[in-house]
Order: sequence, then C-alpha cells, then structure tokens
Amino acid sequence: MEQKWSYLVEEYRAMLYRIAFSNMKNRADAEDAVQEAFLRYMKEEKPIQNKEHEKAWLIRTTIHICLDTLKSGWYQKTVPWNESFENTAKNIYLPYQVRDDETLEAVLRLPVHYRNPIYLFYYEDYTIHEIAVILNEKEGTIKTRLRRGREELKRNL
Amino acid sequence: MGIQEVQNQSQTPAYQKKKKAGRAEGFQESFLQNLKNRDRAKHAGTAVEKEGKQAAADTQAGVKVQADKVGMGRVGVSPGIRVTAAATQETLQAVEVRHMSYEESDHVRIAVKEGYTLKGKREEGGDARVYVEAKYEDGRVEAYQVDMAKVTGQTTHVIEQFALETMEEA
Repeated sequence: MEQKWSYLVEEYRAMLYRIAFSNMKNRADAEDAVQEAFLRYMKEEKPIQNKEHEKAWLIRTTIHICLDTLKSGWYQKTVPWNESFENTAKNIYLPYQVRDDETLEAVLRLPVHYRNPIYLFYYEDYTIHEIAVILNEKEGTIKTRLRRGREELKRNL
Repeated sequence: MGIQEVQNQSQTPAYQKKKKAGRAEGFQESFLQNLKNRDRAKHAGTAVEKEGKQAAADTQAGVKVQADKVGMGRVGVSPGIRVTAAATQETLQAVEVRHMSYEESDHVRIAVKEGYTLKGKREEGGDARVYVEAKYEDGRVEAYQVDMAKVTGQTTHVIEQFALETMEEA
C-alpha cells in the first residue's frame, strides 16, 4: 500500500504543484494544497475507475482546495511574506523552457475562470475534452473561455 | 346542410391556394439561387487551385511570399488553405499526429497571445527531418514533417523557423 502512495506522489506531485502554484502564486501555499489533495485521495471512499479518472480527480481536487483557501476569511487577512519574489513565474518549475515569462505572469494574473483553462491547455498540454472533464464544464464553455481569456490577456499585455 | 354546401366546404380556400403558389415560387427562387451559388463556388475553387499552383511555382523559384501569406500567420482562420499551402511547399509535408508530450519534445513554443502551441522533435535516421506538432485554440491538432535540407536560414515561415530552432536545441 505504501508503495502505491509513493508511486502516486511521484507521478503527480510536480504537475499538481504547478497547477496549485498557478492559483496560489506562492510556493508554501501551493505545496500545502497538493499535500491536502493527496490526503483527500487517500481518504476517498468511492473507487477511482482508471488512471485518467485518477489524474482528473487529483487536478480537480487541487483546484478546489486552492479556490476554497483563496476564498477563506483567514487567507484574505494574510499577507505574503515576500510577494515580489514569490509571484515570479520562475517558481512554477515547468518541465520545459519557457522563453516568454511575461506572458506566463500575465496568464497567472487572469481571473480564475480564464486562468485554469488557459494554463491547462497551453502550459500542461491538455485537450479541450480533458479540461472539460477536469473542470466539470462543457467543451463549448472551455472553448469560449480560452478565446475570451486570450483576448483579455492581449489587452493586459 | 345540403350536398352542395358540403362540397363547397371540402374545396381548398382561396388564400391557401395563394400560399401554396407562393411556396412554389419561393422554392424555384431558392433553387435558382442554389444553382448560382454552386456556380460561384466552382469558380472560387478554380481560383484557389490556381493560387495554390502559383504558390508552388513561386516556392520552386525561391520566392516564398505567396506561400507565407497562407502559412502559420493565419492561425485559426482557414485550416484547409493552411494545409494546402503546407503541402505545396516542398519543405513541409503534412503527416499523422503522434500526440507527443512536452517532455518528449526537443523544443516547445507556447504562443498564448496567438492561440497556438508548437512541439518539435528531430527525427531519428540519416535525413535531417523535424517533426512539428501544432495545437490550435479551437482544439485542432496538425502535424508536419520538415525537410531541413530544403529550409534556408532566412525563411520567414513560422513552422520552418521553429524547425530550425528545434535543430539547434536537439
């Protein structure tokens, strides 16, 4: 059983951290969110059907944990320790080289309903269908958010 | 009610006849319009074909201006034209999509503002070829194989430029 959990953590840790970081924009909170997602997965009583379901479940749960934390009264009263350092896109640790950090920073500043589809589509290379399953939305909604998010990004840059 | 009166009632009222006649005229008009549209489409198709042949001729002569107009610069506008344009250029060949991940790629370009991503990998084997996979905002994925022996350093075509960058990274 322990082997199964360590395999799971190794497999998804980096990807979940990046998704959590894109929402929390600071390393410590992103790590907390990922840890909480793994804990919830271990406590999950409903059976996870397959690998794709497992992945989608973990991403969805991580995003929900991040959004719940951001909305909480406690979190809104806190101040980041070193905002200028923590906000940089370099802390997201993508597994490939991104030459345009300015665009990534702008993506991270987008409203949440644009940020998550755009981040998952462009930076994690998910398809529109996969994003629709992860975010529990229709494919048409995801397409619209990608288009409008890109328009907003262009205005911001 | 007499027999005569019943017969009169069973006849189609005048306004309905008028409506039916109107429909028939409308159908004829739309049929004619369809024929005209088909003619126009035929002519347009011939024009596109001519343009494609012209682009191929230009490419062979070393002038790639026409081909670049219908290349990656028009991302998301007209997929048919883009593929045709790619096929007309000797350097690019449309191939089957392999769904390569970012980790597997030698080089990645994420163009969020333009609405596309490119992944490139140098092909194994004797010939210098680069496999390029393009994903667009509307969900389409297209793949090309670039013959690097025919790509010049001064190319302005986005996929060719990207293939050159991939060769440097690999």
